Amino acid sequence: MSHAESALITSPNRPAGNRVQLMATCLCDAFYDDVAKATVEVLEHLGCSVEFPEGQTCCGQPAFNGGDWDSSRRVVRHTVKVFSGDLPVIVPSGSCAAMIFHGAPLEFEKEPDAAEIAALGNRTWELADFIVNGLGIKKWPGRYAAKIAFHRSCHSRGTCSGPASLTLLSSIAGLEVVPFGEGEQCCGFGGTFSVSFPNVSAGMGHLKLDHIRAIQPDVLVSGDMSCMMHLGGLAEKEGKPIKTQHVVQILRDALKNA
Amino acid sequence: MALQQIDQFSAKLRPETRASVYDGSKKGHEKRTSVLFDHYPDPDHLRRLAGNIKQHVVENLDTLLPAAAAALERNGVKVHWASTAEEANAAVLAIMRARNATKMVKAKTMVSEETHLADYLGKNGVECVETDLGEFIIQIDGDHPSHIVKPIIHKNRRDIATSFEKNGLGAYNDDPQTITRRARAHLRKKYLEADVGLTGANFVTTDTGRLVLVTNEGNSRFCLAATPCHIAMVGIEKLLPRETDLGLYLNLLARSGTGQQLTVYTEFISGPRSATQPDGPEEMHVIFVDNGRTDALASDCREILRCIRCGACLNVCPVYRQASGHAYRSVYPGPVGAVLSPLLAGERFPELADLPKASSLCGACNEVCPVNIPIPDLLLRLRNRGKQEGSKAAAAGTPPMGAWSLLASQPFVWKTSLLAGNSLNYIPKSLIPVPPMQTWLRDRTLPAWRGGAFRKWLANRPTPPAAK
Amino acid sequence: MARQPPYPARRQITPPAPSFLLPAPMPSPRDTLLARVTSALAPLPKRAPLPNWDNELVIMRQARGPVDAWTFFAERLKAVNGTPLASTTDLVATLTQGGWKHGYCDPALWDELRPAFDAAGGFNVETTFDRARIDDYQFCITAATAGIAETGTLVLSDLDTSRRLAALSPWVHVAVLRRAQIHIDVPAAIAALPQDPNVIWCTGPSKTADVEGILIEGVHGPGIQIALLLG
Repeated sequence: MSHAESALITSPNRPAGNRVQLMATCLCDAFYDDVAKATVEVLEHLGCSVEFPEGQTCCGQPAFNGGDWDSSRRVVRHTVKVFSGDLPVIVPSGSCAAMIFHGAPLEFEKEPDAAEIAALGNRTWELADFIVNGLGIKKWPGRYAAKIAFHRSCHSRGTCSGPASLTLLSSIAGLEVVPFGEGEQCCGFGGTFSVSFPNVSAGMGHLKLDHIRAIQPDVLVSGDMSCMMHLGGLAEKEGKPIKTQHVVQILRDALKNA
Repeated sequence: MALQQIDQFSAKLRPETRASVYDGSKKGHEKRTSVLFDHYPDPDHLRRLAGNIKQHVVENLDTLLPAAAAALERNGVKVHWASTAEEANAAVLAIMRARNATKMVKAKTMVSEETHLADYLGKNGVECVETDLGEFIIQIDGDHPSHIVKPIIHKNRRDIATSFEKNGLGAYNDDPQTITRRARAHLRKKYLEADVGLTGANFVTTDTGRLVLVTNEGNSRFCLAATPCHIAMVGIEKLLPRETDLGLYLNLLARSGTGQQLTVYTEFISGPRSATQPDGPEEMHVIFVDNGRTDALASDCREILRCIRCGACLNVCPVYRQASGHAYRSVYPGPVGAVLSPLLAGERFPELADLPKASSLCGACNEVCPVNIPIPDLLLRLRNRGKQEGSKAAAAGTPPMGAWSLLASQPFVWKTSLLAGNSLNYIPKSLIPVPPMQTWLRDRTLPAWRGGAFRKWLANRPTPPAAK
Repeated sequence: MARQPPYPARRQITPPAPSFLLPAPMPSPRDTLLARVTSALAPLPKRAPLPNWDNELVIMRQARGPVDAWTFFAERLKAVNGTPLASTTDLVATLTQGGWKHGYCDPALWDELRPAFDAAGGFNVETTFDRARIDDYQFCITAATAGIAETGTLVLSDLDTSRRLAALSPWVHVAVLRRAQIHIDVPAAIAALPQDPNVIWCTGPSKTADVEGILIEGVHGPGIQIALLLG
């Protein structure tokens, strides 16, 4: 990648099909079990059989972003071992997916097993990207009556995930996606950034919340629970909680009203 | 665990300064976006192309630099070479001494900021006057620029009116029009008295040896219309392979930097004035300056040398907007500075190795960059280098990852921890002695721990319907 | 107040101490710098190629399709707060209205312009420019080399501009432009860059937004930039 073009480009020929592996992500493992459940239910609704490799832990991103690439590579090597085979790997997080298809290859550039690492990236999909561009589904059935603020998480910048999420959400009956100010700006989470730069991070988050509150949405939705944990946590601490959901929870709940 | 310096700086920033920086950056970004997308169907294609051409320049400097120097010399320009800041400053002084020159007017050049030229010349008996309005205000204030193209983005009109009054430029008046008129009157005298005009360069064409300068105020033009000697300090990466490439870069630079189609003045200078022209330099010098650029060139972050100094990445950067340019403790602030400044610092890299940490890696900088520099990737590489070199500045506030990586590479330990974590729900979080968690909790709540709940659901649910 | 750099100045590169046994000549500054460039690039397995590109890419969509050069130029010049004028009568009227009566005119243009000024009366126009009195000239008239329609830009060059200072220092600068000199777009103007040591593109009046982002015109250069179409 001597003169890397854009930061986040997904492989053009990723496999799609109805047998998939689920990478649930550590946040879902620890906090957001309902997001992982919704992912399984939505994928099964689409006719997929979902394998969950038991040995999975984390994608390795915290150490990668922190600059500790030795530690990160240890975790990435473990992840590659756990997700063996050639099935599509589906991740309900733009951030963790980008770690697998972009971040990991970057930190393995000079490593002997770079090719194996890249191979996992070449079959990894963020969930909404997989549904729209892998399975070809552009319209979502059911109904979800709500006014929604959609936060395009930063790791979906330059990928197909943001547009894919919007395609699905906007197609749901009863659902209205309302744009808000400075939508391209980061929420301020950034993993360890939020604890090593707490003032800047909180400042960014509050600005984002101001913009979101200005449109008075019923739900704040994103493809990344990390952004939702940050924004939701800031809002609750202020005593003005805001309802947050993952895109896949909206998709699952819409199906209940099919 | 001390906090990161940029975060501490941001916490202490005057609210007025933060507001000035935020408003200025936001406006700049919005203007850039509306103009680029109004004029071009696919600006991203142009950014990629411009990035690829500049990457060619960066990777072929060994042949392009001598070619550019030869072209300049053919045009009657005297070419000098400076590996360090000291050599660059000394070259300027030597040219001035040879002409018995003692007065310089100076248009904005970032390279001269790098070398602290004005201080150096002052110590050597040369009066050096900044002529860009913002830089002039910075100079009379003894301040430092905080933005690449908007040097006083951190000041409001009241700050400026106060310093004008203090420096004998008229009674307090904070009307921007009055401030500008007073500077106009004061500086025209300086131009006409000066012996030398100093500028930088935005581009140098390798094939035809033209130095290209873009400004809005007309100050560099005045330097070149009123003084008999022109010196340009030029970073070695400023080359363009072909004159025709200017069509691409001029169109991108102003739109990205200030949201203009072109800046007001675009000058193409290929030597001393022509014989028929009464005004302007009879002598022209170009000093090619390295000052750490070859270190950047040898590194795995050489893409940063594509930078054309438009400032778009500063304008869009949420961290820059919160922290201001001075937080970066270097000539180049914002995302580009977070990469470039530590690289240019040579063996003092560890002192500035915290700058690459000042990013949520949101990628907005890459998205607006007219030469498509993958800034987040470069920040990440520098973070890794900071870790390897044991930079204390970089480590501040960063949770150690060694133990975590052991945990996350052993499934049994991982699953046990997930379950054990449920105990968190039964003790007050404020009592948990984990510094990052306490930092998090200062401004945020944490959701309830639900470790292992998904795995339990998956294991215990009825057999799912078979795939179609 | 002294300007104390808050950031570290770069370290000095100390040249190796000269050996008394083998006194080598000091490399020139040029050789030293270029050697560092060469050694930085040496490990690269291959170099990035130089892409070719098509001028069409950078022509703004508003400049596509059939356009009348002067009409388009005038529209774009107005967009940057410049003043397009199509006759000497308009010029004289504009100067009169602004109260700008004392000026300079390139002697090569004066014969062509003089009748309109004489007809209006009350003007003091010099055909030599005295640098000691630059603030006496409220307006200066010089010849343009070309124009660029899509940006409203006036191209000036040493060979055609009688005085660089006259085209810069007055409050009102008038550049005389001929219809045949107008390029439609930036790539065309780049392709036709004059062989001249100094070419300057002026796109509207001198301006700054340094103070709180507020637009102020006439910073060091003209506050009024006029393009006068003659022929």
